[in-house]
Amino acid sequence: MNFRERHRIPDLGVGVGFRPKHARDVVDGGGSRDVEWYEIVSENYMVPGGRLMDDLAKLRERYTVIPHGVCLSIGAVEKLDEDYLARLKKLVRSLDPPYFTDHLCFCKASGLDLHDLLPMPYTKEAIEHVVPRIRHVQSTVEKPFALENVSSYLSYRSSQMPEWEFLAELAERADCGILLDVNNVYVSAFNHGFDAEKFIDAIPAERVVQIHLAGHTDKGAYLLDTHSDHVKDEVWALYERAMRRIGKVSTLIEWDEQIPTYDVLAKEAALARAHREKAAP
Amino acid sequence: MKLRDLQKTFADALVLRESIAADATWSALGETEFTGSERLSPIEQLDVYREQFWLRHVKCLEEDFPVIAALLGAEAFEKLVADYLVAHPPKHFQLRHLGASLADFLARGDDPLLADLARVEWAYVDAFDAADAPPLDANAVAAIPEDAWPGARLVLHPSLQRLRLAHPAHEMRAAWWADKERRPIERALPAEACVVVYRLKFLLYAESMEPLAFDMLDRLARGETLGAAAEALGGDVEEKIGAWFTRWSALGWISEVRV
Repeated sequence: MNFRERHRIPDLGVGVGFRPKHARDVVDGGGSRDVEWYEIVSENYMVPGGRLMDDLAKLRERYTVIPHGVCLSIGAVEKLDEDYLARLKKLVRSLDPPYFTDHLCFCKASGLDLHDLLPMPYTKEAIEHVVPRIRHVQSTVEKPFALENVSSYLSYRSSQMPEWEFLAELAERADCGILLDVNNVYVSAFNHGFDAEKFIDAIPAERVVQIHLAGHTDKGAYLLDTHSDHVKDEVWALYERAMRRIGKVSTLIEWDEQIPTYDVLAKEAALARAHREKAAP
Repeated sequence: MKLRDLQKTFADALVLRESIAADATWSALGETEFTGSERLSPIEQLDVYREQFWLRHVKCLEEDFPVIAALLGAEAFEKLVADYLVAHPPKHFQLRHLGASLADFLARGDDPLLADLARVEWAYVDAFDAADAPPLDANAVAAIPEDAWPGARLVLHPSLQRLRLAHPAHEMRAAWWADKERRPIERALPAEACVVVYRLKFLLYAESMEPLAFDMLDRLARGETLGAAAEALGGDVEEKIGAWFTRWSALGWISEVRV
């Protein structure tokens, strides 16, 4: 059995990132039938109480909620933060999701929390360093764990393989899932001049538990992953390619800057569903 | 370069205030470690991350301290953030904690009004996601024997933030939030104020208090019994305490009375 089958990872359909701006639309207003599930930023809900936690509890009563972290720092040379992991485990237990996710990157260095998703060099050394950390996270939290490919604006001379080989080898050796961010593939492909389709075609399809879609910003000399706009046509095309290869898998729209009304976000989810049906009927 | 050194180099570059794109030393290092692209040199690639580091942290503090940002203007606020982050670099995984030391940092400066404003704005941040607590059980209170009250201790709502200010900074904050046109803010003149910031039914409020009531609340918050606190403050506290208790209960400040 492959990773998805072994862990009974379901296809949740199309969801959106749950943001406080939309809480009243979703929690009090009933949401939209175009949005089948929600993802939260895990760290925003590692707080003692208040409206955020109350909204989350109500959201969970009606929907599957996937915790998506931004601060695990799986690739850092610094020790994993066991206090963080304990808080993550508590959150995951409260939500009982089919899996939880974070990014393949480092966020901490020199004792600082840099609050960014900093890219790894694609080296054997990095693989040897990260594999046991992934296993530790997965066994500590006691749920299947998936890592997301990040957008990057820099590449290292020390890299020994392309990003997709790095991600695939890590996932295989650590036995974790993959959260395939199609927009990040497109952004990084533009920034580094590789073929985005090659990335999509090389990723181990049976390990992909979820797909991310978002808008990015053209800064001229590079693309910036801003989550501030509609998904671009080129990214939709890449998404359809991924769907044809992977089959129907949970898909999520992220929108974090210049956040639109909930209706606009729900329409973007409906659009994702249309692309999904077209590619993998 | 080994992974450890590479990540340290990354961190060293990110916290630099000025662009490193034109810096000869960094450019040489960039050529050694990074590939560059058709459109960006190796060091320009690293500079993208450095720029984002500052944009992200300035934005975070601007969201938590909008009144200070408005009072100072963009340029001075960015300088404040830069100085603050040099003294208090980010060491918590949650951005939510980034501004925790800003009031103390400003208190060491030459503008005490800014320190008071920071304390007020941070009190709202802390009250927003503080732990929840059940409302006071009126039946349990009614059942407390009269002679047990002097030995009683109050458990206050976790969101309650007690501020003793040298300026009515809470009024500046209220005026700024109430003004939809976001006109320039008038600086408050020095005047002592005792203020409680608290959360009730997920909304945040600030309440000015008379100093004696504030002192009483402060002592109770630190675990003193009602009797000990009243005796320490003396005067006409005992006459007022019933009305205070009623008011504080109505505002949701008291979660429990322990006898």
